[in-house]
Amino acid sequence: MLKYIIKRLLLSIVILLGVSLIIYFLVRLMPVDFIQNKINAMNQGGATIDESTVQAMYEMYGLGDNSFMGILSGYFNWLGNLFRLDLGRSFQYSAPVTDVIVDHMGVSFAVALIATFFEFMIAIPLGITAATHQYSIRDYAVTILVMIGISLPSFFFGQMLKDLFANKLKWFPASGLVDAGSSATGLALLPDYLAHMFLPILTVVILSIGGRMRMTRTNMLEVLNADYIRTARAKGLKESKVIYKHAFRNTLIPIVTTLAGLLPSLFSGAIITEQVFDLPGIGNVALKAMNAGDIPFIMGYNMFLAFLSVIGVLLSDLMYALVDPRVKLE
Amino acid sequence: MENKKAINQNEALSEAKEKDTEAPLDKNVRLMSPTRMVVRRFFRSKLSIIGLIMIISLFAFSFLGPLFYTQWGEIEVDESQPVKPNYSTYEIELTDKDGKVIHVSQTIETVSDFNGLAPMSWEHPLGTDKQGYDVFVRLMYGGRISLIVSFLSVFVITVLGVIMGGIAGYFGGAIDNVIMRVCDILMCLPGVPILLIISLILDSADVDAKYRIYLLMIYLTLFSWPGTARLVRGQILSLREQEYMVAAEAMGYSVPRKIFKHLVPNVMPQLIVQMTLSLGSMILYEATLSYLNLGVRAPYAAWGTMINVISTDMEILQNYFNVWGPPGICIVIAVLGFNFVGDGLRDALDPKMRR
Repeated sequence: MLKYIIKRLLLSIVILLGVSLIIYFLVRLMPVDFIQNKINAMNQGGATIDESTVQAMYEMYGLGDNSFMGILSGYFNWLGNLFRLDLGRSFQYSAPVTDVIVDHMGVSFAVALIATFFEFMIAIPLGITAATHQYSIRDYAVTILVMIGISLPSFFFGQMLKDLFANKLKWFPASGLVDAGSSATGLALLPDYLAHMFLPILTVVILSIGGRMRMTRTNMLEVLNADYIRTARAKGLKESKVIYKHAFRNTLIPIVTTLAGLLPSLFSGAIITEQVFDLPGIGNVALKAMNAGDIPFIMGYNMFLAFLSVIGVLLSDLMYALVDPRVKLE
Repeated sequence: MENKKAINQNEALSEAKEKDTEAPLDKNVRLMSPTRMVVRRFFRSKLSIIGLIMIISLFAFSFLGPLFYTQWGEIEVDESQPVKPNYSTYEIELTDKDGKVIHVSQTIETVSDFNGLAPMSWEHPLGTDKQGYDVFVRLMYGGRISLIVSFLSVFVITVLGVIMGGIAGYFGGAIDNVIMRVCDILMCLPGVPILLIISLILDSADVDAKYRIYLLMIYLTLFSWPGTARLVRGQILSLREQEYMVAAEAMGYSVPRKIFKHLVPNVMPQLIVQMTLSLGSMILYEATLSYLNLGVRAPYAAWGTMINVISTDMEILQNYFNVWGPPGICIVIAVLGFNFVGDGLRDALDPKMRR
């Protein structure tokens, strides 16, 4: 097991290096005067970007030196900074990129965590009923409903919910995280937060239930066809016991492993949903930074996301080896 | 497996017998090629038929529609005067000579020189948008973009994936290792955020608004072939050990022939299912990019671009569903159609799923 973990860790480092290489060269594809124009535009738009910040960025990425050695040394310089968790200073938010990411991660995490909870709580029972009643009306109804959920574009569905529940019915606030007139602090803010997060969470849950439900259904069907289920039925066990004790436990294996893989991605933020409801989450912040051409932030955000998904893959692989004793570690 | 097949044939036989017992036996046994069996199983499912109808009608609508609906072009502004002028009222605070504050409300009548945000009528079945473009015709042109882009990118992804996966699976060893690590790296790249960077690069190169989305999708395909490559590789790893491959080896076939003529065709069923399902997700991807103003940009139309206006204009979001609703519904129909067809194909092609 230890050998396996070490091997997987080394592999993760290789993957991260590869990702950083691609992201670095993408940024190098941008002409320097284009970057300068974007900075000027931001300065005219009211931002105050010091000459020193810009110089620091040029130095950090080694921009301007387009010889082969220049690019190479620029890359390693940037990589060195990455290891020190120094992602540079964001132009748009005039703060270190790491600080901006940490500040806005919380909102995204809260939305994603609650949404994932409901997603699993709703999708798993639906998947089980669909599997145990395969090809019945119930199966078709559930399948069609969740298929519609998968097919909805998040921006369209989010705007529809916003229009209906926030603008027309006025049940929930339309955007932001806190009411403009609210003076509450501390715990008193919680109801306000929840009211603002309700619609984004609803959007995410409805869009993601489908995939989870279909996964559960497929796994459940596979397990239900296994020999030990036939044995369990043959020895006269109650159907509920067969399904919830024998079959469901084995369906849990893939569910638990995906859950482990999902954990890191909860921090990554839902760009579109946050944009629609103007939540100050990390995805929305990144989108605004991108529209302004804030290169240090976009670079940092991309590396952050890549890091999260590498950790996610690692966790789910380890979890798989841990949960399923049949997995052989080579 | 073998058993099941035999039983199935027996069933078919007895079915045929029930239908017509008088005719001689050889007329009752209908020989069906595997392809025909798949087609029959596919059309047995109502959902796949519905999906097929949805897709065909969308294709007809987007590609044939503009041939019949010729009143308006994609970027043709309706320059007739609007039926009623726009009134906007402002409250103004004035201070007169004595220092008194007077509130004056001023109403301004604006008559724009084009027919923007027109209601639904015979002339404009879905009204016009803010710029005075006809929504109905833009829906057709937007559909063309979405469908072409998604088909092209799925095609490229599949070709890349089959080549890379085929090579990795067939040769194994170091080559396999390198290709699979590249896959790992590409799979860890974040999707939309990377496209944010690429979009900035395209901005810096001053790409024409019309071709932006194609360039963007080319980049997207470069990052999204690993899924297909993994699928192909996994299948080939198991197929490689089968007897018919030993026979192919003994016949002295060349390596490309062995890979692309003997191994890849056997991966086709899974590949077709994957392609159909990713057509749907590519349409969603394209729409999202256009919605974020990264893809097709005004004045050209794409479904996502047509919905984009509501992210800035609350007025249209609240009062003009006819401007942003139809493109959204089109996206849902397209994605749903491809998902239904993909699901139907999966059931039809997978012998284990046979009822």
